[in-house]
Amino acid sequence: MKKYTIFFALISFAFLSSCGEHGAEDLGVNFDITFRATFDGAQLEKNKDYQFGSVPMFVEACRMYLSDITLLQGNREIVLSEIEYLNFTPSNAVFATPTITFKNVPEGEYTGIRLGYGVKPSLNAKRPADFSAGHPLSIENDYWAGWSSYIFTTLDGKADSDNNGSKDLSLAYHCGSNPVYKTFEFAHTIHVHAGEPGARISFDMKEFLTLADGTLYNLLIHPATSNSAADVTVAQTLTANFGRATTVEQ
Amino acid sequence: MKDLFRKNILWLSFILLAVFSVMVACNPEDPQPLPQGDLMDIAYSPQSYTIVKPAYFPEIPIPADNPMTLDGIQLGRRLFYDPILSADSTMSCATCHLPAGSFTDNKAVSTGIDHISGNRSAMAVLNLAYILPEDGLFWDGRAKTMEDQALGPVENPIEMHNTWTNVVEKFKKHPSYPALFRKAFGINDRSEITKELAAKAIAQFERIFVSSGKSKYDLFKAGNIDAFDDEELDGKLMFFDEGKDYNLPDAQCFHCHGSETLTGGKFFNNGLDSVGSLDEFKDLGRFNVTGNPFDKGKFRAPTLRNIALTSPYMHDGRFQTLEQVLDHYSNNGFGVVNEGAFLNNIGFPNGDGTYTGLTAYQKKALVKFLETLTDTDFISNPDIQNPF
Repeated sequence: MKKYTIFFALISFAFLSSCGEHGAEDLGVNFDITFRATFDGAQLEKNKDYQFGSVPMFVEACRMYLSDITLLQGNREIVLSEIEYLNFTPSNAVFATPTITFKNVPEGEYTGIRLGYGVKPSLNAKRPADFSAGHPLSIENDYWAGWSSYIFTTLDGKADSDNNGSKDLSLAYHCGSNPVYKTFEFAHTIHVHAGEPGARISFDMKEFLTLADGTLYNLLIHPATSNSAADVTVAQTLTANFGRATTVEQ
Repeated sequence: MKDLFRKNILWLSFILLAVFSVMVACNPEDPQPLPQGDLMDIAYSPQSYTIVKPAYFPEIPIPADNPMTLDGIQLGRRLFYDPILSADSTMSCATCHLPAGSFTDNKAVSTGIDHISGNRSAMAVLNLAYILPEDGLFWDGRAKTMEDQALGPVENPIEMHNTWTNVVEKFKKHPSYPALFRKAFGINDRSEITKELAAKAIAQFERIFVSSGKSKYDLFKAGNIDAFDDEELDGKLMFFDEGKDYNLPDAQCFHCHGSETLTGGKFFNNGLDSVGSLDEFKDLGRFNVTGNPFDKGKFRAPTLRNIALTSPYMHDGRFQTLEQVLDHYSNNGFGVVNEGAFLNNIGFPNGDGTYTGLTAYQKKALVKFLETLTDTDFISNPDIQNPF
């Protein structure tokens, strides 16, 4: 009888241990982040008139890749996703604010978040055919087949170059290739708990076109970038602006 | 006493209901019900089908509610080529989508059964499975999926001018279609045939319309650099804006015709018309789907694979030759506010915000490059030819 009592006690202990706090923490919770593109703090809308310094302009397309979206907690890092694709201007709507749900995120208080702007080099070495349908990197439209790189950030639009009321100048900032990839960390307390609202991350496209010293990028001199050596320098400059163009909230 | 009365009322109601049901069922004007389960003795053993594609093409998305099966594709193939879909049984999908023209009809605009001309050119049926639902099918993206697309032409008055009710009745009475629907979708009797199942079958068939990967361009991509002559190579360099080191200008083509399928599936105003306001476009294109005024005059950038076989060009077939198309793009558009971002900077920069356009040699080289995209293995693929 004593033998059986010890056996049941052990089984009960094992069962209770498996149901303890440790197990629940490992399972984690769902955590949402809503992404948004803005222009001068307001919701970015396709074809809406904006003033960029003295230059009237509008945005036609705004898309971007983010790599290694990572929650920070002291020395601890939780990678929420290796890659995400954000299309803020889908062809069937004026704007979109995509919400991504990350699953099994350990609950806790996080001190910040790190974002990789673009496709990190290990993934940029691949091509759309290497990914299953529906994967963010299977999208062909934002891949430069000729240059073996994804287009990390796309900002297309039109500007009125001579202020005569006609938006005559095409703007096309297509930033890509490994030297353009950049990461930024943002210090912000982020609570991850069941039932807690998710985070919101905004990218301000006016700030994206604003240089570190606060001067506005000269759209008229360099209205387009793609992948030539000179363009890569411009793309690096613009991507570096994401540090100031990004706002994290909860 | 009260209980007895309640019971009698209940019985009476039941009897009246039964009598009414019998009367309704025996109405001589009602059509005879189709036999239940009349197809169940036909084997239903679907075999899944994997689409053959070039290795460097992305995986083809397949909707969960319409998996690819051999019998589904075979049914879709018959439906695609069968004029049973049109009101007078003279016109099939293949009337406007013929293999020789990379599944176009090589006409500026197509003509339906009532000899009414449409206002747009028949699009090539090639690599459509890659189009995202966000963008949709047709020149203006009005059908979200290939299944939605397949439903459209049957009831379009300037195409097949039929009704799906009529077509489905014809299927039910047909000597072979009920069995084919059974094999494709496991229906138990012919009354279960629907337009949705027909559209699913056509969509399955059209999903196998994928490039062979054997064009001259594909051979070059695979590493056979001798596949291209100098002109074709120059054309490729300009097409992909890779020519700076060779004193070749940017032709800016790949921004709209990028990716392996040489279309991103997106919509552009490619500078065809000089309009004073966006409302002046004769055909408002994508606007009719989105309602966004800046989408007026925008149309899908079609795939350039097999483009040499699909003349005439543009949504309204206004250009007869690729040379005319290159002449058009070389003019750098009209500066209409919603023209594509790269349309106004083709050629070398003049330094004053304008661009040179392309020389005669550069245009010729681009045409020669476009001709390397011709995929005769695709158009002669026996799996997509007329089964009748």
